[in-house]
Amino acid sequence: MKRIITPLIAIASIALLVAGCSSAAPAGSSTPVSGGTLVYATGDAEPTCLDPHVGGNYPQALVATQYLESLVSKNKKGDIIPWLATKWSEAKDGLSWDFTLRDNVKFTDGTALTANAVAANVAHLQNPATASSTGYLALAKVTGVTSVDEHTARITLSSPDSSLLDSFSQTWLAIESPTALKRSQDVNCESPVGTGPFIVKKWDRQQSVTLVRNNDYNSPPADAAHKGKAYLSSIEWRFLPDSASRYAALQAGTVDVIDNVQPDTIVAAKNSKGIQQIDAPRPGASNRIELNSSIAPFDDERVREAFIRSANVNDAVKSLFFGTAKRSYSALSSVEALGVSEPKLFGYDQKAAAQLLDEAGWTQKDANGYRVKDGKTLELDFPVSTNQSIPAEQSLFEQLQATTKEAGFKVNLHPLDLSSWYAALGKNQYNLVSAPYTKVGPDVLNILFNSAGTKPAPSGYFANHAQVKDPALDALLVKAGQVSDPNERASLYKKAQGIVLGGYYILPLYDQQNHYLLRSDVKGLRALPTVSTPTLYDTWLQH
Amino acid sequence: MAAALIGGEAPPRTTRRRRWLPWLLLRLGGVVFVLWAVATLTFFAIRLIPGDPAEAILGGPGSQASAEALAQARADYGLDQPLILQYLRFLGRLVMGDLGRSYALHDSVLSVIGQNLGGTLLLAIMSLVVASLIALGLAAWSTRGGRIAAGISSVLEIVAAAVPHFWLAISLILLFSSILGWLPPVSVPGPVGLVLPVLTLALPLSGFLGQVMRESMLDAMASPFVLSARARGESENEVFWLHALRHAAIPAIGLAGWAFGALISGAVVVETIFARPGIGRSLLSAVQQRDVPLVVGVVIVVALAYMLVTTLTDLADRLIDPRLRRADR
Repeated sequence: MKRIITPLIAIASIALLVAGCSSAAPAGSSTPVSGGTLVYATGDAEPTCLDPHVGGNYPQALVATQYLESLVSKNKKGDIIPWLATKWSEAKDGLSWDFTLRDNVKFTDGTALTANAVAANVAHLQNPATASSTGYLALAKVTGVTSVDEHTARITLSSPDSSLLDSFSQTWLAIESPTALKRSQDVNCESPVGTGPFIVKKWDRQQSVTLVRNNDYNSPPADAAHKGKAYLSSIEWRFLPDSASRYAALQAGTVDVIDNVQPDTIVAAKNSKGIQQIDAPRPGASNRIELNSSIAPFDDERVREAFIRSANVNDAVKSLFFGTAKRSYSALSSVEALGVSEPKLFGYDQKAAAQLLDEAGWTQKDANGYRVKDGKTLELDFPVSTNQSIPAEQSLFEQLQATTKEAGFKVNLHPLDLSSWYAALGKNQYNLVSAPYTKVGPDVLNILFNSAGTKPAPSGYFANHAQVKDPALDALLVKAGQVSDPNERASLYKKAQGIVLGGYYILPLYDQQNHYLLRSDVKGLRALPTVSTPTLYDTWLQH
Repeated sequence: MAAALIGGEAPPRTTRRRRWLPWLLLRLGGVVFVLWAVATLTFFAIRLIPGDPAEAILGGPGSQASAEALAQARADYGLDQPLILQYLRFLGRLVMGDLGRSYALHDSVLSVIGQNLGGTLLLAIMSLVVASLIALGLAAWSTRGGRIAAGISSVLEIVAAAVPHFWLAISLILLFSSILGWLPPVSVPGPVGLVLPVLTLALPLSGFLGQVMRESMLDAMASPFVLSARARGESENEVFWLHALRHAAIPAIGLAGWAFGALISGAVVVETIFARPGIGRSLLSAVQQRDVPLVVGVVIVVALAYMLVTTLTDLADRLIDPRLRRADR
């Protein structure tokens, strides 16, 4: 089936800009003003390379959104919209895609955007020397790129890929200048060159990245609020690792925007005049606790269900997140259009939990109230990554430890730093674990729940922490990753999610939290609907 | 102290010059031994923590790096060789003054430290100066201001010494930035950005220094040489500034080596909270990322600086305290 999506007309409206702000900006002049420097303070780690092709993590995507652009983007509804590519089509056999590029775009080093540039970027991502992980995985089915003509790139695949557009919408697969990519990796990491509204001017390690306006900019995504160059003349991108001083800096006006805002700070900011909030949950998986089904006691579905039934998640979320996080009942983020929510499966019910444990043979109790079977205590090891779980989430796990104790579970929480945490997972020494996974599109299900994901990569990494090994689920996920018909794709992913949720492999908690606070004189800031990173292209300062 | 090191009878004055050579050699040998021990311990200790250095090179743990990329990184950095060989190569390079390349920053360790050492030294020295001034003020006030002053300052000293850096930093930010709005909560260019970080480091240190200085000042003020100075007709000010102060400085200077170490460890917290560039912050992220060369490099440089400071304080002690010089003879 051949599908041609014609370019959408840019939906330029202020409503779109402020959409997503939970507290609306106060009324004032709504005519954008040019000029000024915006100071953005990030709490994420300082990237080790400003080119998101290398490695490929969230801190890189945050800053790179300001100077790199992708072939396509997404609008708020989740539809793919034009960006550097104006249109695209899939071949009948699904084994190639043609992307038509804008014909008037130049990289900030003067190189023209052509089909060859797309080829150079795919080659760069697939070259082992680049050491790309996120982009490399996303291009697993891509066998090569040829130019049909100067501005049409044909991407060939080993098997059909229904997630190709989702993949190319991510900043980790942004298109960089092929001329710049020829420089050494060290140089390219220091000053990557894209087509974006800003240009990397200098990088003071441990301090900031200075970005200046690209005055020749002409390639905003179809849902941007304006055309032409950006309003801000420069951006100071600061690294402020401490969350308390980050908020103090925002209050004092030393910085204009902060990210990684913690629940207590969001509540404090709500009562503080002059500060607005943007809540932009990350795409991909919801934050969830995964139950390792490969080893006892969770190899028994009844014990998995008993654990989930005895965990009082709702009260814990309410008391620890102060209403800033909404409970999720889905494997996918709420921004994923194909996510399925099943609140019924996750109701808190200690009686049902006790009954399930009795049925599963955990009938005895020891002096502390923990269930015992064949002389073994019902113990669960829960390695907690202190790098990935925010303090409120760590407290949440402690509360769940207390409520599941009532049913007779002995949960052992092990707070670990990132490397030790990965090591514990690699040794299969865990019954419970919680790990975020950010990716655009429902294909994240294939990464997290396909049995192929239980085999550790050479680095020891594997993504299927629940260790789901279900041939029927594998088949559904592989097929969903190939079909082009949107309805068929949606129905396959729905069935797959039914198996994951119904099998009690995961306990969904909430979306992957992603809150931004900004001073009220910052206007027109929005998060890209793809990876939820803020774009400062439409942003201006009201003084 | 030097006499104790070389032992034996106090030689006659004519041979005094020759005694400096073995003293210097011994001291240098000590420095080399400590550096070797520090480098070796750090090298192996950081490898005992779980985590693959090859992943650190490829953007951190769990980077999902491909097999080819990991193999490439291992070969590039010699991580595919036995640990003992890696250690010997590391020692070999260290002897040549080469600290290697940072895994995470993809830059030479020397240049990373070079870029960041200045900021930390400035912070540490300013803090040491401010702490000494506060301690001196407190000690002077408590020795001369009567019983109430002594009580108040001793409580202040204990509280200051007990306060942890991270708590003090947040409290100072809350007071001077959020409430009063006088100072920026994070580091900004210029001296104004230094005020809160320096205060955070200086206040606890001044508590320790103040306690020590007050004790010895009180001793001095009650000692016979002060009595005789008074008897000679010297004014109370002269007695205090010329005699008692000198007496009080000796234990404080003896503490300076320790204080420097405390300041560097405090810098890890302060540089992170105030977002100041420096080796404390470099060290923290290097440990988190299993960046072995950078961790070892920072530890070696700090150890070197520590030994330099203790040597200088030994010398300063001799200059201030004539009794030590006499004991040499």
